[in-house]
Amino acid sequence: MGEKRQTEEKKGLVAWAKSRKGQQFFTIAGFMIIPLSLLLIFTYFPFAEMVKFSFYKMKYTTPVDRRIFVGWQNYLDVFRRSDCFGALKLSIYYMVGAIIQLFLALYLATILSFKVKGENLFKGLMFFPYLISGIAIGFIFKFFYTRGFVFDTVLSWCGFQVDNLPYWLKDQAVNNWALVGTSVWRYLGQAMVLFVGAIMSVDAGMYEAAELDGANKFQIFRYIILPSIKTIVTLNVILSITGSLSAFEQPYVITNGANGTGTYFVIMNKIAHTNQKVGLASAMAVVLLLIIFACTILQKLFFKYIFRNADSEDESYAAKKERRKMEKAKVKAARAQGKEV
Amino acid sequence: MKRKSFLAVALATVMVLGVTACGSSSGKNGKAGSSSDGKELSYANIELGKDYTDLKANITMFNHRTDMDSDEYGGKNWKQYLEEFNKEYPNIKVDITTDTNYADDALTHLQSGDYETIMMIPAIDKSDLSTYFVSYGDIDTMQKEINYANTWMYDKEVYGVPSTATTQGIVYNKKVFEEAGIKEVPKTPEEFLAALKAIKEKTKAIPLYTNYAAGWTMGAWDAYMGINSTGDTKYMNQELLHTKDPFKDYGDGAHPYNVYKILYDAAAEKLIEDDYTTTDWEGSKTKLNNGEIGCMALGSWAYPQMEAAGEHAEDIGYMPFPITVSGKQYALCGADYSYGINVNATDDEKAAAMVFVKWMTEKSGFSYNEDGLPVDASTTDTKLDFSGVELLQDDPAVEGEEDLLNSLNSESELAINAGGNDKIQAIVEHGANGDKSFDDIMKEWNEAWTKAQEAEGVDVK
Repeated sequence: MGEKRQTEEKKGLVAWAKSRKGQQFFTIAGFMIIPLSLLLIFTYFPFAEMVKFSFYKMKYTTPVDRRIFVGWQNYLDVFRRSDCFGALKLSIYYMVGAIIQLFLALYLATILSFKVKGENLFKGLMFFPYLISGIAIGFIFKFFYTRGFVFDTVLSWCGFQVDNLPYWLKDQAVNNWALVGTSVWRYLGQAMVLFVGAIMSVDAGMYEAAELDGANKFQIFRYIILPSIKTIVTLNVILSITGSLSAFEQPYVITNGANGTGTYFVIMNKIAHTNQKVGLASAMAVVLLLIIFACTILQKLFFKYIFRNADSEDESYAAKKERRKMEKAKVKAARAQGKEV
Repeated sequence: MKRKSFLAVALATVMVLGVTACGSSSGKNGKAGSSSDGKELSYANIELGKDYTDLKANITMFNHRTDMDSDEYGGKNWKQYLEEFNKEYPNIKVDITTDTNYADDALTHLQSGDYETIMMIPAIDKSDLSTYFVSYGDIDTMQKEINYANTWMYDKEVYGVPSTATTQGIVYNKKVFEEAGIKEVPKTPEEFLAALKAIKEKTKAIPLYTNYAAGWTMGAWDAYMGINSTGDTKYMNQELLHTKDPFKDYGDGAHPYNVYKILYDAAAEKLIEDDYTTTDWEGSKTKLNNGEIGCMALGSWAYPQMEAAGEHAEDIGYMPFPITVSGKQYALCGADYSYGINVNATDDEKAAAMVFVKWMTEKSGFSYNEDGLPVDASTTDTKLDFSGVELLQDDPAVEGEEDLLNSLNSESELAINAGGNDKIQAIVEHGANGDKSFDDIMKEWNEAWTKAQEAEGVDVK
């Protein structure tokens, strides 16, 4: 009897495999396995290794058997050392830059979305910096800020005396702003293009209707454009804030992180590669990841609050839940009624 | 296309070898040079021009001399060396890759396990040498062949042959010093600073160019804290490890304290470049050559590059570092980067690599051309003139402490002679901004060093 059941089960399995559902399953699994294994091998496995490293005292070249397990020591160090966690203070500069950059990008994108002459030329010009490699930008700006070079010359045309100008990279009061300026210059175009794309998807009929109602340009922006592109605004803010937390290219290439411009990433790179404290650097990376997680979640909540009644089409999560509940209750009630009848 | 298929074949070969090569070297040695059959591969046994002349191999080399890739390089470039080498060994093809960020990238290459046949050995622990590199022979034999044989020695085996040897001093423009009225080369920090001031007053040149922005040029100051400032061959690898507060002021005008103080004082008295954050390394060579810079603190390896950078080669001079220890000047001489041979290469590749290394050392004239001190033990040819200065080498660490300096460097994050550029950049910053006294900086270093010594459990004297 047991045998019979087994063969029956086997038959059932084969039949299932041949059925539409079974075929569907195999196709899905077949397609999934490649991207999933790539993701696991090249993203999650190295990440897990890095998390493991963060609990060890080791150099890159230390053989596996001579790595020393130190528990949470590395994490404690990240918070205790003034140069690790303190470096996050520099992110504030980059965050201020990010906010300026977003406002500028939104402003330019809005202007470009109304009828402007040479619209594509302007878009191209402003997007261009994003296409240059970060290293090249580093070199360009190193010369740009050098005493008596480009920036000083331009300012002297505007009537500034070169002797009164600060040393843009040497003076610790301005050097971080100089680097932030570079960063804004580079990423402004990208943010703007994202905004332009989103604004283009707004139904042109809405503008017409608004104009007929006597709305001015600012009101159109405030009540039509902004609510329609809120997803992109959120995305851009999240990208810029996480970007400022992990600022690396500009300080690394232009100043090598010296003279008080060492951001969290630059310090991490130094600790990992010059001082060969791989464990500590890994712990720094994990801590930064958690911080970025926290920031992203906070921003999500913030925007949910800001846009909570901006657009009736997109209902809030709570409202959706409420409605679903109601619908379910209705169905239940209907069923109960049907049974009784 | 051809290159691709070659790569595929090479990759396949490497993978197959990776599986089978361990332990079994039989059957691969048959084709090697006729006279070397039966002999174990070792540096001393290779007779250039006779052995392995029909050996066929493609090998690669990873190197830090990016400037020698260029056809415009003032001296002999890689292409010319390889052409000469291939006259004698036409079937050994050497592919040289160079990198400006060598010290860091080389470590990454090693760690990946897939690295070039010949590497310039980066800062690794000596106990790991045999994991990565082939032994050239034991120390007694190698000492008869080359100078500085103990640079990369572990367990009496030699794993590195120096490409050249250099000494540590100051490269300067003689004409600028003359114009400033400096008749004798300064020998103490006070004389040196006085000379810098004279240059500032009497000429238009920048007295001391720090090359702050390049980073590694600042790290180069660490080279003077050993023999140059103490005259003690045991200092760097043995005594420093056990010294309490090595950066304190001994009050004798010497010791590491005074090395870094020169830099701090020069920065504080504005004897360095105006805007140090935007310095340009390549441009600085030309400036020194043209007399726009008085001097720079760089190893003697930089001397030929400064000469080659412009039309005034005869103006460039090289002087000992301005510190006198009890009336005598010392200079550290030591090996530059050393060639190491990949332990995972095939036997043919290893043989080809060793032939190339020996040829570079004995026949190429590389060390002489680069104004270095001789590496090949059988010659004394050099262009450097350091008369009156005692040239000394650092003694190796005592047994069991080979890795201690590396560990202390890593633990204290001072990274002495190991890329600790930022700590010296900080000296310039604090000197120029005047926001921290030199003694405070040295106190911090001492604290970091003490902490590291405690963490590693070192006896402190």
